[in-house]
Amino acid sequence: MARDTVVTLFPETQAFAERDPGARAALSVRHLTKSFGAEQVLDNVSFSVAEGESLVLLGPSGSGKSTTLRLIAGLEAPDGGEIAVRGQRVEQLRARARNVGVIFQNYALFPRMTVADNIGFGLRIRGQKRQPRAEVVARLLALIGLADQRDKYPGQLSGGQQQRVAIARALAYEPDVLLFDESFSALDPQTRVGLRREIRVLLRELRVPALFITHDQDEAMELGDHIAILNRGRLEQVGSPAEVYNDPQTVFVATFLGAANVLDGQWRRGAIRFGADRHLPAPGHTPAEADGTPTKLVFRPEDVVLDSVPGPLDAHYYLGRGEVVECSFAGASETLTVRLGDVAIKALRIKWDTHRLPLGPGDLVSIGLKTYKLLKE
Amino acid sequence: MSAVNTSRQPAQAGRRFEVAKPIGIGLVLAAMLPLVIMPLASIFIFGMSKGPAHFWEALTAPAALFSLRLSLITSSAATLCNVAFGLLAAYVLSKHEFPGSAALMIVISLPTAIPTAVAGFALLLLWGPYGLLGQYLEQTDFQVMFTTAAIILANIFVTFPLAFGVIKPVLDNLDPTFEDAAETIGASRWQTFRFVVLPSLRGAIITGALLTFARSVGEFGSTIMVSGNLAMRTQTAPLYIFTKFNEGDIEGANAIAVVLAVISFAIFSLIILLRKRLA
Repeated sequence: MARDTVVTLFPETQAFAERDPGARAALSVRHLTKSFGAEQVLDNVSFSVAEGESLVLLGPSGSGKSTTLRLIAGLEAPDGGEIAVRGQRVEQLRARARNVGVIFQNYALFPRMTVADNIGFGLRIRGQKRQPRAEVVARLLALIGLADQRDKYPGQLSGGQQQRVAIARALAYEPDVLLFDESFSALDPQTRVGLRREIRVLLRELRVPALFITHDQDEAMELGDHIAILNRGRLEQVGSPAEVYNDPQTVFVATFLGAANVLDGQWRRGAIRFGADRHLPAPGHTPAEADGTPTKLVFRPEDVVLDSVPGPLDAHYYLGRGEVVECSFAGASETLTVRLGDVAIKALRIKWDTHRLPLGPGDLVSIGLKTYKLLKE
Repeated sequence: MSAVNTSRQPAQAGRRFEVAKPIGIGLVLAAMLPLVIMPLASIFIFGMSKGPAHFWEALTAPAALFSLRLSLITSSAATLCNVAFGLLAAYVLSKHEFPGSAALMIVISLPTAIPTAVAGFALLLLWGPYGLLGQYLEQTDFQVMFTTAAIILANIFVTFPLAFGVIKPVLDNLDPTFEDAAETIGASRWQTFRFVVLPSLRGAIITGALLTFARSVGEFGSTIMVSGNLAMRTQTAPLYIFTKFNEGDIEGANAIAVVLAVISFAIFSLIILLRKRLA
């Protein structure tokens, strides 16, 4: 959809972009803390969402991400910390006074209201007259491509359609920020991928700041201008998808966002010792530590280089000779498990490498690394 | 091929058991005939035995019409009261857990478990001339016992938990996310209740009201204790039937019995219809 079309269809959306020309964050959370009984769910969590940007809060179930959303929306009260929407502190305000839009996991469309009534609900309770309300609803229905479904009930719509209605219902009252609570997890995979793109394009066009909550790394990569990774109530890293993927700061981040090999090692005379007395030079720019200091060697499967020729490879680091124990084909690529002494290493090869050097279980290979990182546990 | 075979097999197996079906249905009907169907039928047969003109005359007797009207009015009042209370109590008990909430649930449900004569007696002991509150009322002009108010109080008492019992489980099963959603959109607590919760309870409220009304219209035991059974003043339809029968006026009793049976039948058909539509 062309940008001009959207703006004419929905002129008030310009307000989203123009309401705050400064660089002030649309949403910011500082030192947020929350416990349920003895269990600490959030521990000093801070992040912010810039105007017109989207942030994905990524974490496994039980990491506290849904609680974070409920605290921001005002559905739970924090034990400590600050929440600000467009610079205004809101943690003392009731949910209804915060002007945030929440798209719930099951969409929570009101079952006894038509699609049009659902979308118009926010304006109706704000005392908006029938006529202007109907105009906004019609524009939003056109925006989400469901103009012909206006008189249907939510139960008559598909999951993807329900989600679009839920978004339109939230957009109708021009919230300062949109919060998506695992909003794609209930959809079948094909709808999910298509709808995700659609929502991304829509949010870019409307420049509505958004916070997504998810446990799905693909979703995080696709939807987030930034990704914040939450683990057991603590924020482990915040960055662009590329930063977080290419430069994980913790072992958890490395393994949760994408696949990673993690080997135990320790410092020995400025180099790294791992496995059964194997050694690697420390990665560049890594300050050496005292002998015996434990560390983790972290590298992605695609950083592994395999070759049949014995001896060092055309790679930065040479690990040694190992044996292929498993090989799984995935079309564009294949994943191999290679045993190097007593450690197992996952390697990913693209189609052309597999044609050049077909490998199967039992084959002996030389193993190299293009790059690797050292992380503390 | 195989699909045809497998679909034929159960049909044959079914045919072997087909004798069981008419026997089973026959047994059920045979049991129901003397227990339920024949008594019901006899009301209509006796009611019409002397011809429709006679039936009409018995039905339109002033005391008969009065008793019907009184029953409908007192039952409507009790229904209104108990639906309002049921809605409030269900909402409060569904949203909040507090010390004693379980005990409160039991107390609310108690009135239907108590024999209706005991319920009437209890009301007399409270509101009657020598009752706990009644002895003070005795000194004023205001009277509760042996008035329309007494009948309504008795109806309220014996049907107290019916609407509550239908509304509460529906409210318990209502996904709280709907209310969360309404709140984040900006709705006040009242708006959330009015636009989101209440529409979801519509079926339960109507069913609860019909159950309460049906039970009230037929109430006898407590009413006869508290009303005084005064013709053209405090005589409800069931009391009228009882009185006419005692007087030997079978036709008079019968005419009202037919009307009450038809009303109950209509109400329960409505409830069943409603359940089907909501399911």
